[in-house]
Amino acid sequence: MPPRLPLGAHRALSSPSVVQVQVRLQRRSASSSPTSSDIYDVVCVGGGPAGLSLLTGLRASPVTSGLKVALIEGQDLQKNRLQKDASLESFSNRCSSLTPASVRNLQEIGAWSHANTARIQPYQEMQVWDGVSDARISFDWDSARPLLSARKPSQPTTIAYMIENINTTTTLLSRLSELGGVDIFSPTKVESIELGTDAEQLDLSSWPILTLSNGKTLAARLLVGADGANSPVRTFAGIPSRGFDYNRHGVVASLKLEGPGWGGLDHKIAYQRFLPSGPLAMLPMPGNMAALVWSTTPERASKLKSLSPNDFVAMVNAGFRLSATDLEYLHTMPSGQEEEIAWREKHTPANERSIPMKVTDVQQGSVASFPLKMRHADVYTGERVALVGDAAHTIHPLAGQGLNQGQGDAAALVRTISHAVQTGQDIGSVLALESYNSERYAENNAMLGVCDKLHRLYSVESGPIVGLRSLGLRAVDAMGPLKGFFMDRAAGRA
Amino acid sequence: MASSRSPRVLHNLQKLAVQTSRHPLFPRTPRVLPTSCAVRLSSTQSSPHQPPNSSVDPTEVSHFNALASSWWDPHGPSRLLHLMNPLRHEFITRCRTTVPITIPTTPSQLRYLDIGCGGGIFAESAARLPGTLSVTAIDPTPEVLKIAEAHRRRDPTLLVDGRLTYLNQSIEDLTPPTSPAEGYDVVTIFEVIEHVNAPGPFLERVLQHVKPGGWLVLSTIARTWTSWVVTNVVAEDVLGIVPKGTHDWEKYVNETELREWFGKRGWGSNGGMKTMGVVYVPGLGWKEVPGGEGWGNYFFGVRRDS
Repeated sequence: MPPRLPLGAHRALSSPSVVQVQVRLQRRSASSSPTSSDIYDVVCVGGGPAGLSLLTGLRASPVTSGLKVALIEGQDLQKNRLQKDASLESFSNRCSSLTPASVRNLQEIGAWSHANTARIQPYQEMQVWDGVSDARISFDWDSARPLLSARKPSQPTTIAYMIENINTTTTLLSRLSELGGVDIFSPTKVESIELGTDAEQLDLSSWPILTLSNGKTLAARLLVGADGANSPVRTFAGIPSRGFDYNRHGVVASLKLEGPGWGGLDHKIAYQRFLPSGPLAMLPMPGNMAALVWSTTPERASKLKSLSPNDFVAMVNAGFRLSATDLEYLHTMPSGQEEEIAWREKHTPANERSIPMKVTDVQQGSVASFPLKMRHADVYTGERVALVGDAAHTIHPLAGQGLNQGQGDAAALVRTISHAVQTGQDIGSVLALESYNSERYAENNAMLGVCDKLHRLYSVESGPIVGLRSLGLRAVDAMGPLKGFFMDRAAGRA
Repeated sequence: MASSRSPRVLHNLQKLAVQTSRHPLFPRTPRVLPTSCAVRLSSTQSSPHQPPNSSVDPTEVSHFNALASSWWDPHGPSRLLHLMNPLRHEFITRCRTTVPITIPTTPSQLRYLDIGCGGGIFAESAARLPGTLSVTAIDPTPEVLKIAEAHRRRDPTLLVDGRLTYLNQSIEDLTPPTSPAEGYDVVTIFEVIEHVNAPGPFLERVLQHVKPGGWLVLSTIARTWTSWVVTNVVAEDVLGIVPKGTHDWEKYVNETELREWFGKRGWGSNGGMKTMGVVYVPGLGWKEVPGGEGWGNYFFGVRRDS
């Protein structure tokens, strides 16, 4: 006779890495029914733009406002808020370009009206060019209209909105506190996530149980990982995330220009120059301010960060004006770039009105860098788990789509949860979550692929590829409808 | 006439359910037991062998026993039933919100009776809806009901007293309401009548449980040449995934037959009969197809007027 397995052994065998924890359930009178205090419908780990947008969407909809929701954030959300009277001479170096689709979603969940609009800069034009061949494409809604058709008054003029990430999160937090009803644990860390147990009355063996640094335990019908690229929730769910490092760093800085830009305050322009080491972008901020994102090699990134403010400013100006060869040499200089560049610029003809206005100053302490990666989780959902934002995907910043993808994820997950609630499904079940995964995975994957290919295409310094890509760029530039198609995609209107 | 099925055939039925998850027109796994002979709904055909109470076939019980463990597997044999479930709610909502204003509206907190509940896919979902007062779900197969009971324990919402009650009973055993007003607001019979021996007498027993102004909602598959080709010829002869004789195509009930049957009993007047044809599209899921009730899977809802 075969030996009998002890009770519950199959469970231990099927998930050897998972420690079984007993959920603390308050027992009332004779019955052992669980109190609802520790049981949540949605527990969101991570209070970044994606997680906050998800919770705001859930609270704002009458369909999902009955759900019991919690937010866990390791940072102090109250301290990390944008001050109402913050100076317009100083901007955070962590900015994003919000697409009209993301803004529309923020409007729909009632958040956009809470935004500090004085610190948001819409832009109407985008200039992109090849740093090797100088082939150029300009994006604005006027030149993207169908051939021979008149401009419609309803046609949008804004390509995207530059906004500090702290403004986005503060906006969402303001809306959330107006809505109320979220149990916020901040600053609180997640100590562990384990599966629950099959108790006498209630079987929580498929429910994630979170133990927090404040000693509380929460059981989650649906656990949302909005906890960034190294998502502990994703690790708990055993979902692999694949990808690679670009061996590039993104250098960011808050800059001051000599003026508001060539189009004035009402027609702001974003610039991106594709250099062989990576794209260099200057995004307009309110007034004379601008945000820099310079993707380059780790060595050059640390060189740039080590420069004096004057040399750094000169390097940024050179980045938009001088040749790749000049730039290579300038990066090898220990210091004195400012003078060297002044001399070289005299001998390099440039059409000043097609490149950003000159940088005059860099905000102290705003120069920083981060490694560029491409990562994509194999799947966004598991039993009682869903991933949003960077926990699901990390993208090259060259198209400014990262934050927008997270907003798209949040909106899609709200839709999926709404449908599940309306049709009585368990919102944590694999079946209920399927539509979220199928809706978002393909779309994000396509965007990840496009940005990756663009990066690779423009890393080439010479040869036929340079000619072909320049031809392609010029061709797209000449064809209004095709350009309109690309702009629609970038604006999230596809 | 189909005779009682061997366990081998039943095993294949389960296999069919797995394989058919890619096919639009196949009936899903039966939840109520087919008995020995096929009789159409129409009153002109009746079965001399029909027992007064449909009995539970022991071989069917063993079939459901085998199926039970995979009932809640999202990729198991019941996947198509799971995918169809949201549509059931959409259809019920559609029925209840298109009532002519002359009929008194039913209360906001609804009482449901789900007949042939199986593992509880619909019953659980109905019990979770905010507008639900209670759900009573019945099924004659004990093993399947055990699965339903066990799965319910995974959701604290469903453990609230009186929210969801499973009864291991057939419709014949269910205590009738003491007065019509004690009946249920919504009585559901999903993917059942195509497997019921005599749909007429079966439905006759269901009627008394519906409250006046309440709705009887069912789903099934039309008996047409398309469904006959798909289930009998393609599945059994061409693909060979199902042994011959698995399907009792004659048991399928057409929407027009239901309309006539209920109309004769004075049910569903003034627009109180609704139909929704649906088709399973691989990769897209179940989709509504106008007119689909004429040739494939469909929902049918009828209101009790008095």
